[in-house]
Amino acid sequence: MITLVTVKIDRVVKRFGEIVALKGVSLEIKHGELFTLLGPSGCGKTTLLRIIAGLEYPDEGRVYFDGSDVTDLKTYERGAVLVFQNYALWPHMTVYENIAYGLKIRKIPRDEIKERVKRALELVKLEGYEDRYPTQLSGGQQQRVALARALAVQPKLLLLDEPLSNLDAKLRIEMRSEIKRIQRELDITVIYVTHDQEEAMALSDRVAVMNFGVIEQVGTPREIYQRPKTKFVADFMGKNNILPAKILEIKNGRATLEVLGHRISGIPAENILGDYSDLYFSIRPEKVSLTPFEGAQAFEGRVDLVEYYGFFVEIVIKIKDVFFFVRVPDLKEPLKQGDNIKVYFNPRDVILLQE
Amino acid sequence: MNTKMATVVKKVRHRKILENIFGIPHFDLFAIVSYVIPLAYIFIFLIVPLAEMLKIAFTYNGAFSLHWFKSIFSQEFYISPKPQGSLYVDTPQYIYVEGLDFGVILNSLIVAMFVTLLATLIGVTLAYVMYRYTFPGKSIFRVLLIVPLLMTPFVNAYVVKLIFRENGIFNWILHDLIGILPKPIRIDGLVGVMIAQAIAYYPIVYLNTYASFVNIDPSLEEQAENLGSRGFKLLRTITLPLALPGIAAGATLTFIFSLEDLGAPIAFHSASIAKKLITYQIYDKFLSETGYRSPEIAALAIILLALSLLAFALIRKYVSLRQYAMMSKGGRWYVRTVKPKWWQYVIIYTIVLPLVLFTITPQIGVILLAFSKEWSRTPYPRGFTLQHISQIALDPSVRRYVINSITYAFTAILIIVVISVMASYVSNRFRGVLSPIVEALTVFPLAVPGIVIAIGYFYFFASITPKTSVLNPLSVSFNPGPILIIAYSIRRMPFTARSIYAGIQQVHASLEEAAMNLGSTRWRAVMGILVPLIAMNVLGGAMLSFVYAMSETSVSITIGSLEMSKAPMTAYMRDLIVSAAGSAHMAAALGFILIAVQISAIILSTIITKQRYAFIGIT
Ligand SMILES: Nc1ncnc2c1ncn2[C@@H]1O[C@H](COP(=O)(O)OP(=O)(O)OP(=O)(O)O)[C@@H](O)[C@H]1O
Ligand SMILES: [Mg+2]
Repeated sequence: MITLVTVKIDRVVKRFGEIVALKGVSLEIKHGELFTLLGPSGCGKTTLLRIIAGLEYPDEGRVYFDGSDVTDLKTYERGAVLVFQNYALWPHMTVYENIAYGLKIRKIPRDEIKERVKRALELVKLEGYEDRYPTQLSGGQQQRVALARALAVQPKLLLLDEPLSNLDAKLRIEMRSEIKRIQRELDITVIYVTHDQEEAMALSDRVAVMNFGVIEQVGTPREIYQRPKTKFVADFMGKNNILPAKILEIKNGRATLEVLGHRISGIPAENILGDYSDLYFSIRPEKVSLTPFEGAQAFEGRVDLVEYYGFFVEIVIKIKDVFFFVRVPDLKEPLKQGDNIKVYFNPRDVILLQE
Repeated sequence: MNTKMATVVKKVRHRKILENIFGIPHFDLFAIVSYVIPLAYIFIFLIVPLAEMLKIAFTYNGAFSLHWFKSIFSQEFYISPKPQGSLYVDTPQYIYVEGLDFGVILNSLIVAMFVTLLATLIGVTLAYVMYRYTFPGKSIFRVLLIVPLLMTPFVNAYVVKLIFRENGIFNWILHDLIGILPKPIRIDGLVGVMIAQAIAYYPIVYLNTYASFVNIDPSLEEQAENLGSRGFKLLRTITLPLALPGIAAGATLTFIFSLEDLGAPIAFHSASIAKKLITYQIYDKFLSETGYRSPEIAALAIILLALSLLAFALIRKYVSLRQYAMMSKGGRWYVRTVKPKWWQYVIIYTIVLPLVLFTITPQIGVILLAFSKEWSRTPYPRGFTLQHISQIALDPSVRRYVINSITYAFTAILIIVVISVMASYVSNRFRGVLSPIVEALTVFPLAVPGIVIAIGYFYFFASITPKTSVLNPLSVSFNPGPILIIAYSIRRMPFTARSIYAGIQQVHASLEEAAMNLGSTRWRAVMGILVPLIAMNVLGGAMLSFVYAMSETSVSITIGSLEMSKAPMTAYMRDLIVSAAGSAHMAAALGFILIAVQISAIILSTIITKQRYAFIGIT
C-alpha cells in the first residue's frame, strides 16, 4: 500500500522580494531515508520544506518525487504531509477531530479512523486527550497532536518542521527515538527540519547543513562531524576550535603551519579543504589531550576556566588572547586559573578549512 | 496593643475589599474616579430610564401586574399566527407584493430574520470573494463596498421604494428593456422594508466576516490542504467555521439594527402594512399620545428591548466562547489569495458585481434625488438643479438643522471620549468585580433599540425635572438639545469604547507601570504614556461615533421633534419624507450633506490612522 518516495530537488531558487531565501538548492533524498535539513534560524529550511510540500512555488528549479516532476502539483495532490513549525491545529476542532480530519478526507471507514486516531495518540503519549480543544493543551502537547495528525494518515513522505522544538529535554529525546522507530516501522521517507545539531546527529541517516539559502554540505552525521567541508559547518556542528592559520610549507604530503605563533607540522595534505590561502585551523576539543604522546603537536597557554559537565571536563585555555577548548574525561590533578598549561594533539585530527 | 491589632486587621480587610471591587491594590483616586464616572453616567442615563419604563409597563391600577403584556399578547393586532393578506396581488397593470401580516410583533421578528438571512448571505459571499480571490477590478469592488455603509436615514429606503415602483428602474430594466418579467412587479410594505434594510445592513456582516477571514492563520488552511482538503470542503470544514465568530457578530448586529430601525418603516408608511412593526407602533403611539405616560407603549418597548437583548446576550456568550485566539507562533502572516477559475470569473462579473451595484443604488439615488427637479413618474430623475443644496446653505430655517446636528453630535463625542477612555482603562487594566461590569455597560447601548431609549428618556425627564424646566419635554419652553446630546452620547458610545478598548489591549500595562515605578502618578502615566499611544484608536472611534450620531433617528424624530427650532436634521428629514412628494428632494439634499460628512470622516481617518476603514463589530 505504501510506496517509498525519493525526492529530488533541482536548483531551486526562491525569492521573497529582496530576500533570496533559497539560492539554487539541489538535493537528492533516497527511499526510506530520514533526511535532516539543519541550519540556523532564517537560513531557508521552512521555505524548502514548504516547496517540497507544494505550499510554495519555486521561482526557479524543479521538484521531483520518484523521478516525476511534481513542481506544478498542488499540495493536496502530492501526499507529502507537513507538520507545521507553528503546529497549525484547528482551534474549532477537538484533538480527535484534528487527527481524524486527514483520514476523513481519505474516506477511511469510521471504525478504522477511530483505531488510527487511538494509535496515533498512543504514539505521542497523549491517550485520553481526544475531547480537548487545542487551547486547552500546553505548547508541547499541541506539538504532539500536530505530529499525531500527520502520522495518522501514514503518508509516504513525511515532512517535519522542528516538530520537537517545544518539548522538554527528556520528552524530546524520547519522541525523537519514537519518530525514528515509526519511520523504520512504516518504512517511509522523512525530511526533518531542525536547528539543533545534536538532534540532527542522533536522528538522521543523512544531514544537509544549510546557511543563508545555500546547502553547505550533505552527508552522514559522522562525515559532517568529522570532515566538515566549510568553516560554517565545522563551527555549527558541535564545539570546535577554529583558528586563523598560515601554511608555511608542504613537503611529502605533509603541511607545516603557523597558528597563534605556534609552529604545527605533520598535517596530512588531504586534510586541507579548499585552496591554500585564508585558511582556518580546526580541531575538536575532545581530540586534544593533556598528556604528551608519540608524534603529538602542542599549544601552550594559561588556564582560564574549568567547567565540569559530568561525562567530561572542559578546560578553557587562553592562547595569546584567543580561547581554546579542550575536553578530557577527567582531571588527574586540579587546575587553577592562570596555571601554565601545555596541550597535545595528533596532526591527523586537524582539518584546514576555508571561510 | 489589642486596638492596634484591630486597626491593622481592619486596614487589611479594607484593602482586600478595595482589591476585590476595583482590582486596585491601593487607594487610588484617579482609578476610582475612572470607575465611578462611567458607571454613574451609564447608570443614570440608561439603566434608570429603562427601569422607569419597566415600572410603568408592569403597573396596573397602582399595583404590579402583567396586565399590559397579557393584553398585548392576546390581541390579534400584535400576534396573529394566521396571516392576513396574500403573498401578492395581481392587478391589471402590475403584480403588487407587500408581505403577509402576522401581527406587529411577529412581523418585526420575521422581517428581522429575513433581513439577517439575506444580509448574511450577501455579506459572507462578498467577504469570501474579496478575501480569497484576486481579479481585475478588485480595488473598485473595495471602494464600491464602502458606499452602502453611508447612512442617509429615510431617503435611502425612499429610493428603494422608487426603484421598485411599477414604473421604477427595476421594472424598467427587467420588464421594459430585457423583458424577463412578463409583468412589472411593485414591491412595497414589509417586503420593501426588508429589501431596504438588507442592503443597508449587509456591509456590517461583510466587514465583520472579512475581518475574521483575514485573521485566520494561513497555516490552518495550508495544513488542511496539505492533508488533502480542497475547494468547497476546505471552505466548509476550516475557513467558514474559523470565521464563524465574525459572521455571527455581524448577523446579530444586523438582526438588532433591523429590529430597531424606524427609517425604513417611515419611508414605506404609505403602505399601511409597513406600519405594523413594533418600532413604528411605539413611534406612532408616542406621537398621538404625547404628554401621557402610556403603559401600553412602555410594555411594547419592553418587548422590543427583550428581543434585542436576547439576540445580544446569545451572541456575546457565543462569540466569547468561540473567540479563537489564533495560536500562531513563528508563522508568517499573509492573506492567501488565488486567481479565480473561469467559471468563478463568470460568477464574479455577472452575479457579484451587479449585486454590489444594486446595493449602492440607494446612495446613488439619494444623490440623483438631491440634484434633480422631478422623479415621480419616470424610471430616472429629470432636471438638474442646485436649488436644494443651495437652500440648505442659504436658508437659515433649513441651515439651522444642520448646525444643530453638528453641535449635538460634536458635544456628545466629547462626552463619549472622556467616558470611554476612563471605562476602557479600568476595565482593561484592573481585575475587580466591577471591571467586567464597566466593560459590558459600555457595549450594552448597542442592544437597546433607539426608540426604547427615546420613550425611556421622555418618561424619565418628564418625571424628574420641574414642570417648567427647559429639560422637561412637557414644558412649553422645552429645549431638546441637552437630552439629544445625552442620548447620542449613550447610543454611540460603543463604537468609541470598543476602539479604545482594543487600543489599550495592544499597549502592555508595564509601560505605565514603569512610569509609575519611576515616580509618576497614575494620572500622569495614563495621560502622558497611554493616551498618546492610543490616540489613533480614540480618533477612529470618535469619527465613527460622530457620523452615527449625525444620522441618529429614533430619539431625534421623537424628542427632537418636540421643538422644531432646536431639532436635528434627521427630524427635519422625516418631516420632509412624510409630506408631499416634491419635498423628498430636500430630504435627499440633507442626505447628501450626511454622505459628504461621512466621506470626509472616512478619508480623514484613513489618512490619519492609516487604517483601511473603521467599522462596527462586537468583540
Ligand atoms: N513569505 C515570506 N515573505 C518574506 N520573507 C520570507 C517569507 N518566507 C520566508 N521569508 C524569509 O526567507 C528567509 C528564510 O526563511 P525560513 O522560514 O525558510 O527560515 P528557517 O530556516 O525556517 O528559519 P527558522 O529556523 O527560524 O524557522 C528568512 O529570511 C525569511 O525572513
Ligand atoms: Mg522555519
